Amino acid sequence: MPRLLIALGVALYAFLYAPLVVVVAYSFNDSRVNAEWVGFTLKWYEQLLTDASMLTAAANSLFIALASSALATLLGTLAALALAQRRRQPLLKFLTLAPVAVPDILLGVSLLMLFVLLNLSLGMLSITLAHTVFSIGFVMVAVQARLAGLDPALLEAARDLGATPWQAFRRVTLPLILPGVVAGALMAFTLSIDDFVVTFFTAGVDSPTLPLQIYAMLKTSVTPKVNAISTLLMLLTLSLILLAHRLSPGALRAR
Amino acid sequence: MRKPPPSWLLSVPPLLYLLALFALPGLLMLLVAFRLPGDYGGLMPLWSDEDGALTVNLTLENFTRLVEDDIYLKLLASSLLYALLTTALCLVLGYPLAWMIARSRRRWRDLLLLLVILPFWSNFLIRIYAWMIILSPVGALSRGLNALLEMLGLGPVQLMFSPTAVIICLVYVHLPFMVLPLYANLEKHDPALLEAARDLGASAWQRFWRITAPLSLPGVLAGSALVFIPSFSMFAIPDLVGGTGGIMIGNVIKQQFLEARDWPFGSALSITVTLVVLALAALAAAAARRGVRHA
Amino acid sequence: MKKWLLPLALLLSLPAQAADVLHLYNWNDYIAPETIERFERECGCKVNQSYFSDAEEMLAKLAAGAKGYDVMVPSTEILGALIKQGALMPLDKNQLPNIVNMDPAYMNIPEDPGNRYTVPYAIGTTLIGYNEQKLKELGITADSWALIFEPEILAKIKGKVTVLDSPRELIGAALIYLGYSVNTTDREQWKQAAALIARAKPYWAAFNASSYIKELATGSIWVAHGYSMDLYQARVDAEQAGRDFSIGFVLPKEGANIGMDHMAISAHAPRPDLAHKFINFMMDGRNASELTNMIGNGNPNRAARPYIRPELLEIEALFPSPELQKRLQVLEEFPTAKDRRDFNKLWTELKLR
Repeated sequence: MPRLLIALGVALYAFLYAPLVVVVAYSFNDSRVNAEWVGFTLKWYEQLLTDASMLTAAANSLFIALASSALATLLGTLAALALAQRRRQPLLKFLTLAPVAVPDILLGVSLLMLFVLLNLSLGMLSITLAHTVFSIGFVMVAVQARLAGLDPALLEAARDLGATPWQAFRRVTLPLILPGVVAGALMAFTLSIDDFVVTFFTAGVDSPTLPLQIYAMLKTSVTPKVNAISTLLMLLTLSLILLAHRLSPGALRAR
Repeated sequence: MRKPPPSWLLSVPPLLYLLALFALPGLLMLLVAFRLPGDYGGLMPLWSDEDGALTVNLTLENFTRLVEDDIYLKLLASSLLYALLTTALCLVLGYPLAWMIARSRRRWRDLLLLLVILPFWSNFLIRIYAWMIILSPVGALSRGLNALLEMLGLGPVQLMFSPTAVIICLVYVHLPFMVLPLYANLEKHDPALLEAARDLGASAWQRFWRITAPLSLPGVLAGSALVFIPSFSMFAIPDLVGGTGGIMIGNVIKQQFLEARDWPFGSALSITVTLVVLALAALAAAAARRGVRHA
Repeated sequence: MKKWLLPLALLLSLPAQAADVLHLYNWNDYIAPETIERFERECGCKVNQSYFSDAEEMLAKLAAGAKGYDVMVPSTEILGALIKQGALMPLDKNQLPNIVNMDPAYMNIPEDPGNRYTVPYAIGTTLIGYNEQKLKELGITADSWALIFEPEILAKIKGKVTVLDSPRELIGAALIYLGYSVNTTDREQWKQAAALIARAKPYWAAFNASSYIKELATGSIWVAHGYSMDLYQARVDAEQAGRDFSIGFVLPKEGANIGMDHMAISAHAPRPDLAHKFINFMMDGRNASELTNMIGNGNPNRAARPYIRPELLEIEALFPSPELQKRLQVLEEFPTAKDRRDFNKLWTELKLR
């Protein structure tokens, strides 16, 4: 690999991690003002461990992100496969991409109105359903990018050899598109765990999520406790992924 | 030979889901765009009965208002500019990154990819706050940059509260949505193709433009769509770091729902934005495909 | 080690399901933890808080049909809409004996005559905060709205000023500076205020809703149009960080807006009994004082005064004297949707220009 490219890559990772270094460093900062370095402390972590509402919110966020990204990955992958078989499906294309384009506020308000009409009680379920709506498009696009230019002969060959459609999918198609599916799932997870606007409107009285807690601090003060919970949540998610990776190595690449 | 499942069977679950949870509420909001705001927030009743004269309160005003004066069109244009610049920068930065990850050793690939998305599992607001610290006029970056500019005999610049800050943050939050689909596409390219081309005497430049670039077009289009479409109606970043200059159409939409209590106009604006963005994205994709076919 | 500690902590922290739960819809950090604990002990119930970060957010969410809250803490500017939409339940004064503690100066406001639906919770003014040392160096006095509106003054502090990202507050300040009412709907007066803002805008760094506390306390900006509680917070933060400057704030001589938050019961409250208990509890002097001691809000409860830290009571911007109160204006709802629409268009044009 050219040296120039490696240097560029290092610079890009530095760009991605510059704010993160600030986030993590300030979670150990002995100043309420989250603005400059004063001294080392663990007090934000100590406060956090006794703050039940913050921990519940983090657990809710993680649960909703896992559930909605799983559902969106399933539905988005199906949409991409359907479009690969037949390109001319304008309704499907429109319905998957429009939620990505619609301003969050409109999506949030309209879903809240729908849930109220349907008498669905607001809570974890309504948030999960709502997040899935805007995540499907991201998954579909990622899987499509992978599917484009894949050799259809491979699939036909599998079927000619007597594979059932399920076997052909499981043994041939899925491994081929897996990097796209995983990329889509990662995006869906990220979108969900970070969403504020849609969550604000679709959340009930008993389902705080982390972004809801954090945005509510905007007016008064975002204390380093938030940096601490962000750091912990990142570590937890990372360890979950690494664990999943231990259980099924090589999920991110084609076999 | 057995038949593959027909495409309609595959498309039924996502279609049903989105019809119920997107099209249905979307139609509600479409109707809202033709109604009038109530005097005390919410909506005016669909019909009112005054002295026996029934009036139906429906209007096109929310759409005509968009064009009767050029401020909303100007805003659409400036948001378009922000979104395009963000997309272009994400592509320029994201392409080499995705390519590097796709070409790195197998056992490093997963980790490198994971490292791209990891920062985005912290919280959005916290990341933007971190940028506010980095770009602050009393921060090291601003001071260093301005010291350098002074040595060159140039005036100082302000990073925080400027359109530059908006662009930096927009690029930052959207970068992974460029890198991930691009990676998914680039990862499958057969290195043998490039080797063959090299053996035939093609320069590195030729190899890239003739082979890698056209093959990766679906990845480029996918990543660009996932950056361009959501960045267009962004409002949180201009609100937080934009200063008095950086305002986008998303801010005005938010204002209709969360300040003006004018849901009908907010809906009309949102629907217009959605259709404009999707049309632009479709046009750009079609043009890019045609361009490659003719190249 | 953290890796396994967190899930464990999460499991342990899942809230125990108490039979009696009061759902409170509030700003974050807007009730002292010890107050909540005391109430939970007294009534044998649990308090479950949901947060909003803007009164309009709360209004939009309720207008779309969200239910399930018992007590809410709306600001004055959305009271009219909430009451007229039927979102609030009339208070049963028999269950609120502590109401005698409230300062009559803050009762019986035009939005809720006779306090049928609400009782005041906290008050604050909108004014100007500034870096005392910097302004002294530059020879600028900070007793007038001219500080954020007059180009001659602004020229010395260009790029170091933020104003509130709120049309009612900012245009309101301009109207006050021009000697008009903040609630005027006279289009000519609006136009003059807009011209004033357009002239000053190039000197401002940002329309800012939230981060000015931090920017002031770190010295990144020198002048901020903001809320009294926030400016008080900025002063405390600067002190605690040991800065070589201090943050001052004054009520401009032309006058200012006074904002109030109120306690109200949702029309759909699952537990009106607990809601009344809570509101009465919060009107007790000692309980009401704890919020003020925590965040420095002005307090509409006379019985709270003996419990409030004396240094807070001395700050005029937080506890305005009857003399000063005459110069304060309350933001009221515009009479029609058309007024609100035109006003917001004016704001969009101002921001875009």
